[in-house]
Amino acid sequence: MSSDHHDGEHHPSAWGPHDWSHGAPHNSWSPIIMSIGIGIFLYTVASVYSWGNMVDSSSIPLVLIGLMIILFGLLIWWRQDASFDGIYEPKASGTPFQNIEIRKVAMWVFLMSEMMVFTSLFSTYMRYRFGIDSCQEVYESGSWIVNSQNVDTGEAVNCFLPASELIASSWFHIAPGAINTFALIISSFTIVQALRWAKKPIGSVDEEVRRKRVYRYLGSTWVLAVIFLTLKMVEWFVGFYIPEIGPIHEHDIMSLVDEGYTIHADHYHPHHGWDDIHLAELAALHPEDYEAYLSAVGPNYEPTNAVMLADIRVSSSTFFVTTGTHGAHVFIGIIGLTYMTWKAWTGGYTPQNAVSIEYFGLYWHFVDLIWVIVFPFFYLY
Amino acid sequence: MMKNFIHSRSLVVMTILIAAMVCTPLVSSFPTGISGVKDSGCNCHGATTSDSVTPMIVGLPEVYNYSEVYELTVSFTGGPSTPGNINLGGFHLWASEGELSVVDATVQQYNPNEVGHTEVGNDQTSWTVVWTAPATDRNVEMILHTNSVNGNAGDGAGSSGDEWNKITKKINAPILVLESANPYVVLSTLIIISGILLIITITYIFYRTNPDSFNWESFEPWIADWLTTTDHKKIGTLYFLAGMFFLGIGGIMALMIRIQLSVPGNDFLTQDQYNQFFTLHGTTMIFLAAMPLINGFANWMVPLQIGAPDLALPRINAMSFWLQPVAALLIFTGVFSGTGADTGWTGYAPYIVSETAHVGTTMWVAGQIMLVASSTLTGVNFLTTIAVMRAPGMGWMQMPLFTWSILVANLMLFLSIPAFGVGLVQVYLDRVIGTAFYDAASGGDPLLWSHLFWYFGHPEVYVVIVPAFGVISEVIATSARRTVFGYRSMVYAMAGIGVVSFIVYGHHMFTSGMSPTLRFVTMLTTMLVAVPTGIKIFNWLKTMHKGSLIYRTHTLWALGFLITFTLGGISGMFFPSMAMDLHFHESYFVVAHFHYVLVGGTVFGFFSAIYYWFPKMTGRMLDERLGVLHFLTAFISYNGLFWPMHRLGIWGMARRHHTYFISTEEAMGSLPAEAAGWNMFISISAFLFFFSNFILIANMIKSVIRGQKAPADPWGGWSFEWMTSSPPPTPSFPLDDLPTLRDANEGHIANEPSAIVRWFQGLMVLDDNEEEAGH
Ligand code: HEM
Ligand SMILES: [Cu+2]
Repeated sequence: MSSDHHDGEHHPSAWGPHDWSHGAPHNSWSPIIMSIGIGIFLYTVASVYSWGNMVDSSSIPLVLIGLMIILFGLLIWWRQDASFDGIYEPKASGTPFQNIEIRKVAMWVFLMSEMMVFTSLFSTYMRYRFGIDSCQEVYESGSWIVNSQNVDTGEAVNCFLPASELIASSWFHIAPGAINTFALIISSFTIVQALRWAKKPIGSVDEEVRRKRVYRYLGSTWVLAVIFLTLKMVEWFVGFYIPEIGPIHEHDIMSLVDEGYTIHADHYHPHHGWDDIHLAELAALHPEDYEAYLSAVGPNYEPTNAVMLADIRVSSSTFFVTTGTHGAHVFIGIIGLTYMTWKAWTGGYTPQNAVSIEYFGLYWHFVDLIWVIVFPFFYLY
Repeated sequence: MMKNFIHSRSLVVMTILIAAMVCTPLVSSFPTGISGVKDSGCNCHGATTSDSVTPMIVGLPEVYNYSEVYELTVSFTGGPSTPGNINLGGFHLWASEGELSVVDATVQQYNPNEVGHTEVGNDQTSWTVVWTAPATDRNVEMILHTNSVNGNAGDGAGSSGDEWNKITKKINAPILVLESANPYVVLSTLIIISGILLIITITYIFYRTNPDSFNWESFEPWIADWLTTTDHKKIGTLYFLAGMFFLGIGGIMALMIRIQLSVPGNDFLTQDQYNQFFTLHGTTMIFLAAMPLINGFANWMVPLQIGAPDLALPRINAMSFWLQPVAALLIFTGVFSGTGADTGWTGYAPYIVSETAHVGTTMWVAGQIMLVASSTLTGVNFLTTIAVMRAPGMGWMQMPLFTWSILVANLMLFLSIPAFGVGLVQVYLDRVIGTAFYDAASGGDPLLWSHLFWYFGHPEVYVVIVPAFGVISEVIATSARRTVFGYRSMVYAMAGIGVVSFIVYGHHMFTSGMSPTLRFVTMLTTMLVAVPTGIKIFNWLKTMHKGSLIYRTHTLWALGFLITFTLGGISGMFFPSMAMDLHFHESYFVVAHFHYVLVGGTVFGFFSAIYYWFPKMTGRMLDERLGVLHFLTAFISYNGLFWPMHRLGIWGMARRHHTYFISTEEAMGSLPAEAAGWNMFISISAFLFFFSNFILIANMIKSVIRGQKAPADPWGGWSFEWMTSSPPPTPSFPLDDLPTLRDANEGHIANEPSAIVRWFQGLMVLDDNEEEAGH
C-alpha cells in the first residue's frame, strides 16, 4: 500500500508513514485503537477468570482479540515511525537541558515513574516479609501443634514462606535465576555495542559492516531477553531434568508450581514435610531451641506425625507478581527489540538516528538494574 | 481507491466505538447468582438458570387484605430431582413487604423478608410458609428461587448436576399504589439524553465549520481528524468536552443522591443502589471530570504559555486522552444491571476484594488502571515539555504561574500514582486470578491498601486544586492589571505544597489504629500545609490591593474561589486535630469540607478559566451578562447546597449512608428534627446549583453561534498565549520564530466592563476609584 500521493500534504495518512521533518502534528489511529484493545483485554480477562477460577472459557477468543487489537495499534505506531530517519530529532530549547534530545529527557522522566512502580512492589514485599512470621520460625517454635493446625483438622497457619527457601535450596534450583542474571547483564552490554556501531561517524566504517554489527548486536540482545523469559517459565512452570553426571545422581528439578508454591497454596506443606516427629528431632539437636518448643507443646507431648499446613498465598502472590512485573518489562523490551532488530536488518540505523537505540538502552539498563535488586531479595535472601 | 479504503476503515473503527459505548454499560458482568440470595445462605446450584425447573407459589392472592395471614405452599417440579434421592431440593423466598414466618422445622427465617429451607427441609420439593400482609397500601413483590437437587452431594460431588430457577410474583395493594421511578431508568435516560445532546452538539459544530458541505463525505474526514489528532489544542478540546460531559453525569448522580436524602427514611434508592451512586459520583467527579478539565486547560495553555510548538510527545498525548473514554466505559460497567462498583471512590480493602462487593468492582478497578496509565503518560509529557521546551530566554522563574502549577501538579501526580497503580493491579489480580494481597484470611493486610491508596490519594487532592491556584493567579493578576504580588513566594509555596503533600497522608488513617506518635507527627505536617496555602491567599489579596481591579466574569469567579476555598481550607484545619477528627470522621462535615475545596476550589477555578480562556480557544467572546447571572445563581445555590452540611455533620449525620432518621414525638432518631428541613433545603439548592450551570452551557453555545469575535488579547494578559491570534494557528508558534517575553505591566487594553459588571464594580471598589482619581 503506498501513500505517496499524501506526501507534502499537511496531514498525511493517520495509518501510514510520515515525513517527520516539518515538525507539524501527525494524525494517528494508533492511540484510539490501542486504548480500545486494552479495554477489551482487561474486560475479557476478568470475564474468563474470577477469584482464580475459570468461569467462562468461551470468552478466551475475546481476550485474544483484545491482544490483537493492541498489536494492530502498535503496528500502526511503528509503521509511522519506520520512516523516522532521525533528521527531525527535536532538541531542548530551555535551560537547563539545552540541546539535549527531548525524547531522551522523556525517557528519564518515564523511568522515574517506573522506579516508583517497583518501589511500591517492594513496599508490599517488605510489609509482608517483615510483618508476617516466617513459616520456618512458626514450624520450629512448635506453636502450630498446640493450635492443632495439622492434617487432622485441616487448619492452616498463616505464615510467610519466601520463594528463596525453595530456590536457594540447591544449585540446580537457583540455576535458571543465576543464568538469567548473567543473560541480562550481557544484554546490557550488547545493546551498548549496538549503539556504539550505529553511532560511528559516516565514512569511518563501511555501511554494510555497520548494518551487520548493529543488527547482530540488537539480535543478540533479543536472544538473551528471550532466554531470560524462557528460563523464567522453566523455573515457574516446567522444571527440568538432571541426568547422571559424575557424583550427581539423576533427578528432576521441580518447578515452583510443581513444588506447590502457587498463589492458591492455602494448605501448603513442603515435600520434605513439616511434621512433629522431625521437629522433635530438631529440637533435640538444638537444645537452645528446645525450650521454646517445650513451652509451646508442653513436656508430655508425644509426636504423632502431625503435619503443619501453611497458608502461603500472600508470600507466593508477592513473589509472582513482583518478579512477574519485571518479566512483563522484559517482554515489552522483547517487543521493542523485535522492531528494532528488523529495522537494523533493513539498514535503518545511521549516526543520525542512533539515539533511538540509546533511548531503548536506557529502558533496558533500568530493567537490568531492577533485576539486580529483585534477584537477591527474592531468590537469595 | 486509496481514499475509500481509509474511509471505510475509519467507519469500522467508529462503529466499533459506538457499539462499545452503547453495549458495555448494559452488560451484567457475570451471570452467576443473585445478590441477596447468596448472602442469606441459600446458594443457587449451578451457574445459570435452567428452564426445566418450574418454581411455584400457591396460596397467594391477587390483591391482599390488610394484615391478613396467608399460608403459602412453595414448590417446584422438574430438574434432576427424583424421588428416592437423599436430597431433593431447596428454596429461598423473598418478599419486599409484609412479614414471612415459618410453621415447621423444614423452613427457617433469616429475617422478616426472607425464608429458606433448613438442613431437615432439603429432602422435599414442597414447603409451607406463612406471609403476613402489610397493614398499609404497598406494592408487594416476591422472588422465589428453587434448587432441584440430584442428591449426589453425599458422594462429594457437591452441587454438580443440580439446577435452579426463579420466579417473581406481584401482589397488589387494596388501593393501587403508584410506583416511584426506577432510579436506573432515570439515570440511563438522563445519560442517553446527555449523549444525544453531545452528538447533536458535535454535528452542529461540524455544520458550522462549513454549512455548504453538510454531508457524510466531508463529515467523515472531519471526525476522523478529531479521532486521530495529536495537536495539543484539539486534544485539549477533547479533554474539555469529556470533562464537561462527565461533570454533568456526576452531577446527575449527585442529584439522585440528594433526592434520596431529601426526606428521612426515603426509599427512592435502595441501600445497594445508593452505594453505587456515591461510588460512581466520587469516581466520576475526581477522575473523569476534574482531571480531564485540568488536562484540557493544561493541554491548551502550557505550550502556548511557554512558547512551544506543541507538547514533547504529541502521539503519547493522544494516547493519554483516548485511554480515558475507554476507562470510563469500564468504570460504569454493570451500573444499569445493579452490579456496578459499590466500594466508594477510595475502594477500601478488604471490602474491595470480598465477593460481597459487586462484580462491577473488578471493572471499576480495570478502568482505574487505565486512568493510571493515562496519568503517567500525561506526566511524562508535561514534565518533559515544561523542562525542555520553554522558549529561549524563559527561565524557570519567568514561567507563568499556571504553567508552574501544572508542573507541580504533574510532579506530585507522577511520583504518587504508581503506588495507586500497583495497588489496583494487586486488587485486580486478587479478584481475577485469585492472588491474596488483601485477603485478610490468608494474612493479607487491608491497611496496606490504605497506605498505597492515600500515598497517592492525598497528593491527588492537591493535584486537582493546584492547577486552580494557577488559574486564579493568572486571572487575578490580569484583572488587577499588575503582576502577581510575590511571584517567587507563589512558586515556592506551590513547590512547598508539593513536597509536604507526600508526608501527610496519615491523616486519612487516624481512626485505623495507627500509633499515637505517628498521629501526632501527621497532625503537625498536615497543619503545615496551611502555611504555603495561606501565603498564596495573602499574595492574591495583596495583588488586588494595589492593583485596579476590573470586574469581568472570570474575576468574579476568582473572588468567589477566594471565599469558598478559604472556607474549605478552614474547615480542613479541623481534621488534622486528632480529637476533632475522631468526631468528624465519616460525617457530613467531611462531605461539606471536601466539596468546599473541590467545587468551591477546583470547579470554581475552572469556571474562571473557562471565562478567561474561552475567547482564546474559540476566537469568540462569551456574554458577560449571562456570565454574571451564572456566577450569582451558582455561587448562592452552591453555598446553600454545601454550607448546611457542616451543621448536619456536627449533629452526626453519617457519610455514605443511604438514609437517616430524625427524632420525632413518636420515635427516637439519631438526628434532631430540624435535620429534615435542612436536608430538603440542601436538595433544593442542589437542583438550583445543577441547573444554574446550564447558563454556562447556553452561554458557550450562544457565543459559538453568534459571539463577538475575540481579539488576540481581550483582557490585557501578558503571557505568551495572548500573543498569538485567537484561536491560535497550528503549530502554535513557528519553530523559527518563537516569541520573546513581554513586560508584565505594559500595554493594558482599555477594557470597558458591561453595565451589570459596572454596577457590581460600583459596589465594591470605591477605594480604588478614589486612588485612581488621585493619580
Ligand atoms: C451538583 C453538585 C454536587 C452535589 C449535590 C454533590 C453531593 C454529594 C453528596 C451528598 C455526597 C455524599 C454521599 C454520601 O457520602 O452519602 C457526595 C460525595 C462526594 N462528592 Fe459530591 N456533589 C456534587 C459535586 C461534586 C464535585 C464537583 C466533586 C468533585 C470534583 C464531588 C466529589 C465528591 C466525592 C469525591 C465524594 C465522596 C464519594 C465517596 O464517599 O466515595 N462532588 N457528593
Ligand atoms: Cu489528605
